[in-house]
Amino acid sequence: MLVIKELQVSFGELIVLKGINLELKKGEILAVVGESGAGKTTLGLSIMGLSPGRCAGQILFKGKDILALSEEERRLIRGKEIAMVFQNVEDALHPLYPVVDQVMEALLIHGLKDKKAAQRKAMDLLKALGLSEERTHFFPHQLSGGEKQRVLLAMALANDPEVLILDEPTASLDAITRAEIIELLKKVIREKMVLLITHDLSVAAKLAHRVAVLYGGRVVESGATQCIFTFPRHPYTRGLLRSYPNMTTVKDLQGIPGPPYKPVDGCPFHPRCTQRVELCFREVPELKSLGDRYLACHRGGIIPLLEIKALSKSFNGVRAVREVELTLYEGETLALVGESGSGKTTLALTIMGLLPPDKGEIWLEGQKVLLRDKGFYQRVQMIFQNPKSSLSHRMNVWELVKEPLDVQGWGSEEEKLERVRKVLEEVELPADDFFLRKYPHELSGGEAQRVAIARALVLNPKLLIADEATSALDASIQAKILKLLLSLQEKRGLAMLFITHDIALARKVSDRLAVMKNGSIVEEGPASEVITNPKHPYTRTLLSLAADLKEEISILPVDAQRPK
Amino acid sequence: MLIWRPNVVNYIVAFFIILTLNFFLPRLMPGDPLQAIYGDDALIAMTPELKLELIQRFALDKPLGEQFVAYLRALFRGDLGYSYYYHAPVVSVVLGYLPWTLLLSGLALVLSTLTGFILGVEAGFRRGQGLDKLLLTTLMLVNGFPDFFVGILFLLLFSVVWGLFPLGGSLTPYASLKGFDLVLDILHHLVLPLLTLVVVRCVNIFLLTRSSMVTTLGAGFILTARAKGCKDIRVRYHHAGRHSLLPVVTAAGLHLTHLITGTLFVEVVFSYPGLGTLLYNALMVRDYPVIQGVLLILTAAVLIINLMLDLLYLKLDPRINYAR
Repeated sequence: MLVIKELQVSFGELIVLKGINLELKKGEILAVVGESGAGKTTLGLSIMGLSPGRCAGQILFKGKDILALSEEERRLIRGKEIAMVFQNVEDALHPLYPVVDQVMEALLIHGLKDKKAAQRKAMDLLKALGLSEERTHFFPHQLSGGEKQRVLLAMALANDPEVLILDEPTASLDAITRAEIIELLKKVIREKMVLLITHDLSVAAKLAHRVAVLYGGRVVESGATQCIFTFPRHPYTRGLLRSYPNMTTVKDLQGIPGPPYKPVDGCPFHPRCTQRVELCFREVPELKSLGDRYLACHRGGIIPLLEIKALSKSFNGVRAVREVELTLYEGETLALVGESGSGKTTLALTIMGLLPPDKGEIWLEGQKVLLRDKGFYQRVQMIFQNPKSSLSHRMNVWELVKEPLDVQGWGSEEEKLERVRKVLEEVELPADDFFLRKYPHELSGGEAQRVAIARALVLNPKLLIADEATSALDASIQAKILKLLLSLQEKRGLAMLFITHDIALARKVSDRLAVMKNGSIVEEGPASEVITNPKHPYTRTLLSLAADLKEEISILPVDAQRPK
Repeated sequence: MLIWRPNVVNYIVAFFIILTLNFFLPRLMPGDPLQAIYGDDALIAMTPELKLELIQRFALDKPLGEQFVAYLRALFRGDLGYSYYYHAPVVSVVLGYLPWTLLLSGLALVLSTLTGFILGVEAGFRRGQGLDKLLLTTLMLVNGFPDFFVGILFLLLFSVVWGLFPLGGSLTPYASLKGFDLVLDILHHLVLPLLTLVVVRCVNIFLLTRSSMVTTLGAGFILTARAKGCKDIRVRYHHAGRHSLLPVVTAAGLHLTHLITGTLFVEVVFSYPGLGTLLYNALMVRDYPVIQGVLLILTAAVLIINLMLDLLYLKLDPRINYAR
């Protein structure tokens, strides 16, 4: 067992790793993920005793503290009991020696005296890892990237170490070679303690039992791999997943706002976090257990922004919304999909307080909403389907966008003008006086909807309810507006309740998807999960009828026929 | 073997060009080629019979092409001309001096490269630490001095002031030593000139090795070696040093000419009976055949050593073969 306790590594003033607590058990693979510069490789090197930085804390291996050992004692452990495979950058192998000699060296250093036997063993090992006999005598420059990776692996495995540290074992390999290496790794690293350092989440998902997310030298979230990757709780983990291109998630790629990590006080992630509070600037959050995982966040992870609890609403005995339960998290898009008349808009209007609910509660940022005051509308805004009718034709752009500020009694006229110009720029509209004096009938459909969005965003709300906000627009303009909304989401952590009948559209913009039928939510889950593995027949119907570019016409399944 | 053939061809071509230049230069000079070859002084004492013999010998009465053929033929017979100063064929004069130069410059080449390399490896490995700083400063200082200056300095200190080593020459004259005593005597005379050359010549190698080490130590395979559990010394020489050797070997060829000119100067300083002293004396008395002969031998030596280094490089770096 390998236990890392309160490990801190620093280079002069710069602290690269801080307060790292990790455990590796036999037969277990722990993945350490994070952006480059997060300190992943430094972690691996400190376990090897090769980190050039100053290490404090403890790394206990078989009860001995590696950091307290002498250099000579550490050398004897290196490559014998703890081995590391370095990133297959082109120079990880010595260019001037045949690869079999390099593997052999690992054996000779650690006590094997007989050179012949060592060479035979090295050869067997290389062959077992899939290198052909004659290629074992080749020089590194004669081998392909995948073969070099095999050699590096053979070198690390030569003395059958108990701990194996893999640093980006598949970086720079093509997809097919990568798959082979992953397969190979799965086979050879059983019964070992493995620390897998990678920024490739797919490799982590395929190999690791547990995953630790590293940011700014600290573990921000850790737990079982599937649990972390399906339901990330730390904003950074979610950002990583959102920006990772893969075949599982369906939403458009989004980055993480702000520049890469620079040393700061408080929570390392706070400069890029969209839900930070004052406490995050001051104090570093502790890594605390949440039952299924460990998380370091003052806000307990991504906060539920809007909670709808058992909400019902009927009109003249027709139950438009029945017992709806929904949770919308900070910075995420929840798409509400369903046919016309399924109760989507009623639900939205009830949340906004434009319709009184019959039953149920609405909670905003952890507090029950009792009355819709200025504070509520400052945080929750809505955009409607038809901008031409949702914008008053008596007001010009300036008055339209400024109106929420007037209502809230916010700032002076100059400040308002500045704010209005800024928000117009944000939605990529001209902010000059000429445009500000335009009336809605002078605007195109796309421009008008942007003005509507600007009006909704001018108060800097946390939640935006978009009710078919783009369905009246051309596809090209719709695409632009959606990109805009997603980029605002990335920048500000804007949460969106995205109401649409178009499941193909919902797939591209949403993190989670809820399917509504006859006033009830019939299915809800991560968008990718709902799209690829729909449980409810109604969802399957929607999916089969969604827009595609195939020739054949989709036929309405029998069970989905409307009752007449 | 096929692979390095173009390389050898290059050297042969280069050598041929040098021969051609050596042939044409005296003949391109204005006036009598004999005068150009032998100089004014030698001609004053010349009888008409001798002059006629020389004209025949160089085929000066024949067209240029035949003269060239005659020149090449003479060369392949080992005939570099006749020195009227020494009253002996140039070849035998040069051969009398050559062994001492070979001994001195050969040992200087090996020892300076070895010293420079080892110091470079150790300093590069301890970059920025005391030893590195000390070596760097000292050797940079030495680098500023010309060979002969260091030679004179050593001569003054070790021979004149402390009397530890002989003042000059390669042997104790008239001592008729034999066997081991002779070897000791030769070494005793060799120490100072050799030391001078090694001290001055190792600086370039040192600087090159050091910077090469610094780059190499940052390479991934060094980390791999350390992760394997290699001892420091093995990392330093087997891994980093071996890799740092490549540019050093390349540069050794380039510095060779400096070593040879350096040897010539140092020989003069220590009156060491090598080609340098011979050349110096020949220059003093304008013994042109000897000068030409010495220069030809030296260029040939430079070419041969460069060729050997090229072949060595092929052994050192397996990637060269592959790249062709």
